Amino acid sequence: MKKFDGLNYYEILKIPMTSSYFEIKRAYKDALSLYNEDSIVTYSLFSKKERDKIIEDIENAFLTLSDDQKRAAYDQMLMDSGQVETFIPSMEKTYESPSQSAPHTGVNENLLHSRVKEKLLAEDVKAQLDEILLKERLSGDDLKKLRKAVGVKITEIQYITKISTSVLRAIEENRFEELPPDTYLKSFLRSYAKVLQTDPQKVIDGYFKTISHAKKTNDLDPT
Amino acid sequence: MAEIYPIGGGKGGVGKSFITASLGALFAKWGKKVVLIDLDLGASNLHTLLGMQSPRTGLNSFLNKTVKNLENAAVPTMIPNLFLISSFHCYMEIANLFYAQKLKIIDSIKNLPFDYVLLDLGPGTNFNTLDFFLTSKEGILICTPEPTSIENSFRFIKTVYFRKLKQMMKKNTFDSVLKDTSSNLDRSGMNPPDIIEIVLKHDPEKEAFLRNKLSEFKFKLVFNQFRNNLDPTLGDQFENICNRHFYSIFQFLGNIRYDSRIHDAVFSKILYIHKYPHTQSAADLKKIAARIMSKMPSESFGKDM
Repeated sequence: MKKFDGLNYYEILKIPMTSSYFEIKRAYKDALSLYNEDSIVTYSLFSKKERDKIIEDIENAFLTLSDDQKRAAYDQMLMDSGQVETFIPSMEKTYESPSQSAPHTGVNENLLHSRVKEKLLAEDVKAQLDEILLKERLSGDDLKKLRKAVGVKITEIQYITKISTSVLRAIEENRFEELPPDTYLKSFLRSYAKVLQTDPQKVIDGYFKTISHAKKTNDLDPT
Repeated sequence: MAEIYPIGGGKGGVGKSFITASLGALFAKWGKKVVLIDLDLGASNLHTLLGMQSPRTGLNSFLNKTVKNLENAAVPTMIPNLFLISSFHCYMEIANLFYAQKLKIIDSIKNLPFDYVLLDLGPGTNFNTLDFFLTSKEGILICTPEPTSIENSFRFIKTVYFRKLKQMMKKNTFDSVLKDTSSNLDRSGMNPPDIIEIVLKHDPEKEAFLRNKLSEFKFKLVFNQFRNNLDPTLGDQFENICNRHFYSIFQFLGNIRYDSRIHDAVFSKILYIHKYPHTQSAADLKKIAARIMSKMPSESFGKDM
């Protein structure tokens, strides 16, 4: 099987040398998701060692090409060593990386993913999760416990799922009257569960059972 | 010369026979003379998918010389222009074909006077399946968008390469390279090295030649039983990965959407594309058939067929 041997950073990310920062970033994200150990296309194709090397190459490619100075030096090296034809970046198109102007404050989805994955490997965390997920009804408190157990912040979920923190808090605090209609709630819960790498169906079913149980109790005892 | 397309792909139950029958019927409908050869030896049932009783004449007649050539072993189906060479009536041990018989079949397949010859292969990666796959330089790999099936497709591609390398290299050389590899494997313990890469690299003089030979292959990929909730770019990802990490040309032909009526059609012994010609899955099959026939890779072709 061919690896990345002999490919330059542009070839690794499959982009032309004239790519803009955004094209580089998109290519980087695509490559990471393709070579991620959970990708159903590639999971069986590489050993862990091979995969780590591939991911490392992709990371290096991105780190170099997303930094104006490093990229310019790298391009110069490619041209000097004759690996590419001389290429002159057009004047109006300097590589603009927004990271220069605005500091990067986002959450790295991939890092979060591997962090949660690692947490889930720990026996005590697993036991705690199993205990919660065995319940038939899952309340907001249970979800919160799940989230805390894998060490994810509510703002991180907000960043990745784009669900507002007020809705996320309403879910976790059982403020049912403030929740969106069922269809939306379902999809929110699904995204929430995915970030925590927990069975989405279980979370949806469990939470909806809590809601209907609460409704029944309210009907019997109107206060 | 006929265009020969072996249809394989590591796993059982992914729809190889179903797709063989459907593509054959479509080519025939579009005016081509087509023969399907059931090479799922010992488990052949292509005739049932075509709504036929098991034909008396078939591969058996060719092997026991009741017909004088493979062409005469082909029987007409209910579809004009579409013929079948069945292996249903071959003797019980047909799955363990003699080497000489296999060569005879392969040789005859290459000379069949048809426009299209589709070979319905059995599951797995046994020598028969691989050798029949190697009859042509182009083959179609069917898999379902599931990890197990994709994993088996990779294994299938690798074993095809391995078999091809074995055919091209001198027996002694091949054996000694393998012996070295396995002893290295014992020593290094972890991470089995890529055997194909080692075989390719053992002789620098021949390396380019062998790589070149492997690059002559064209694999076409089809995802069957594709459900709507899946990532629609999966096929492109698959094509991309194969082109990048294997040595041949890979072309993704398309997805065939899952439809439970395909199952019904098999039960009723009526070809799905005839029973339900206006479904999405039938449209998918037509698009794929058109793409094979036109040899055009573009996405836009075949949309209004």
